[in-house]
Amino acid sequence: MNSIVDKSIIDIENPDNFELGGFADHNTPLIKDCWYVAALTHEVSREVISKRLLGVDVALYRTLAGKAVAVRNRCPHRSFPLSKGKLEGDVLVCGYHGMAFNPSGHCVKMPALPIVPTHADVRSYPVVEKGPLIWIWLGHPDRADESLVPDTEWLASPEWKTVNGFFPIKSDYVSMHENLLDQTHFPFLHPGAIGTPEYARSKLDARMDGDSVVIDRALLNSPPPGVYAMPTGLTGKPVDRFSEARFVSPALHRAFARIVDNNDPSGQPRTYRFNITHIFTPETNQGMHYWWFCSRDFKHDDAAIDEHLLGASAKAYKEDVDALEWIMDNILKDAEPQFDLHFAPDKPGLMMRQSLYRLAMAEAGHTS
Amino acid sequence: MNPKLFDVKVVQIRQLTPRVREYLLTSANGTALPTWTAGAHIALHLTSPTRGLVVRHYSLIGGGELQDDSPNTYRIAVQREEHGFGSNLIHETFKAGTALRIGPPVNSFALDRSAPKVLLLAGGIGITPLVPMARSLLRRKRSFQMVYSGRSVDQMAYAQALQEMCGEALQLQCSDTDGMLDIKKLLAAQDLDTQVYVCGPTPFINAAIDAAKSLKWEEGRLRSEAFISSVLAGDTPFKVSLQRSGRDVEVRGDESLLDALSNARIPVFWDCRKGECGLCATKVVTHDGELQHRDRYLTEEEKQQGQSMCLCVSRTNGKHLVLDL
Repeated sequence: MNSIVDKSIIDIENPDNFELGGFADHNTPLIKDCWYVAALTHEVSREVISKRLLGVDVALYRTLAGKAVAVRNRCPHRSFPLSKGKLEGDVLVCGYHGMAFNPSGHCVKMPALPIVPTHADVRSYPVVEKGPLIWIWLGHPDRADESLVPDTEWLASPEWKTVNGFFPIKSDYVSMHENLLDQTHFPFLHPGAIGTPEYARSKLDARMDGDSVVIDRALLNSPPPGVYAMPTGLTGKPVDRFSEARFVSPALHRAFARIVDNNDPSGQPRTYRFNITHIFTPETNQGMHYWWFCSRDFKHDDAAIDEHLLGASAKAYKEDVDALEWIMDNILKDAEPQFDLHFAPDKPGLMMRQSLYRLAMAEAGHTS
Repeated sequence: MNPKLFDVKVVQIRQLTPRVREYLLTSANGTALPTWTAGAHIALHLTSPTRGLVVRHYSLIGGGELQDDSPNTYRIAVQREEHGFGSNLIHETFKAGTALRIGPPVNSFALDRSAPKVLLLAGGIGITPLVPMARSLLRRKRSFQMVYSGRSVDQMAYAQALQEMCGEALQLQCSDTDGMLDIKKLLAAQDLDTQVYVCGPTPFINAAIDAAKSLKWEEGRLRSEAFISSVLAGDTPFKVSLQRSGRDVEVRGDESLLDALSNARIPVFWDCRKGECGLCATKVVTHDGELQHRDRYLTEEEKQQGQSMCLCVSRTNGKHLVLDL
């Protein structure tokens, strides 16, 4: 680790602050060239809202035709938050001096001047709407390749039923990614819910896949954890459990779980699938927006299962949120330096930290 | 009121054509320079040993072919103009290590990302803001055509790099061998949803604007950026007297009124330096010649009345001007 002692955000892009083979932490510059979720589709409407994303204040609204628009929430004239202004048709009008911008960010009016100035555009950001998510590209707009938007088709597919929730977190997104790649904490931070002691000790296979980190795990002939036992109706019954946890990008972690009941009353093995989607958008280096989704491919209409998964997931994720906020508080406020220890099961998390560090270095113009 | 300036140094110089040199500028302390988008330019605040402050604007190129420069680097190309004090100063004095100050990137010529089809039309050194536009369109796999007109390939900056980058999308029109470009014919052949970006010498841009008008194109379909030139060929020297401070300042034929006043340490407000923001508009007391208004800020009526002028781009062809300063 570079340093666990807090220092102010490092001087971004100063080559002296990077070293080869480093690990990202809460001080590492955020990765800009990446699709992040700006909001859920229903949050964005004809009412202009604002959110801080990667340290930048962004205003979000929809055109009359329903297209989502994201522009910098800061008038280029006197920094007034444009979200405090109003929409006139598709044009966003600043509430301070009435400067007006079209959905491309182009200035179309400056009431205090006899002309429209040619150099007064507000930055607009590429956005893509997919299923329940509005993705935004805050990096170089030329690199906003829509084919790079991560696949989350199960969130919009009729084959799946999803429950979801949201937390604002006062912690860094690097620690959150690490938390999700760290499966040995399950039985202790979330007892009885998502981890079992057998699971914590089962062998894992972690590998890099491009910039991604993947953990494959198989645990045969073992009862399912609490969160999955009720929906499947397999409480206490030995089943085969398979999972793939994947750090997809700085914005997304997904976990695909399969529970196979080899002794289904039908006489055929029956598979129950859960797709868990964790979406993070750093607000700053030390805060983030966290959306979670729990999707299942069976018993869509069972409201009791919805209620159970919603309650159990929200409880478990709140435990993660609390843990990460306590850790961040320690890191930021404790005066005595500490150099955290690493153990074998931390390898996937370290691979992810290294991947994020490499991405940050590349964005700062360094080649590894 | 002056925008924040950045300290940079020249790190690399490349001769692109007999008259055009490319300069790589990096931040003096190695940290990233502000981000910008295709079409943006920066102001170079130069210091001439004889003249003092000289400000010139150059478009940002962004990188070599499809490769981006690192975040602490800006790339510009400067054509040496026979009577251009700024461009001659740059060509004569810029060496590796030369320190200078620049203004933040400003974009008066932004590429609309939503345009379905694009025509980039360049005349001579007007190619510079269109290079990052072509790069952006290529990266985003957008349909576009680039027509680059000049005298001959060896005098056209970035011609070869653009050929490699754009392939079929680029048409080089060399007047020495291919004859003059027929802009009206080119515009008439465009699809209805094509957005045109044109940059080049003033007559070239005016020809494009006139062609668009005669084809009855709606306003905004053709976007142009004129070189921001505070001084034109044929401009003459004059004396300016400042009524309030009682000072006299000589303005040379090849410097702007604003630059002359700045060098005489007369405090004047300014921002855009291209006759749009109106911050440098100043009351005129008397003038013995014609006022040459070149700004967009004052209305036609105000220009006729001659009671105020924008110091950054406007001047007089007379000998004496009295300002309320």
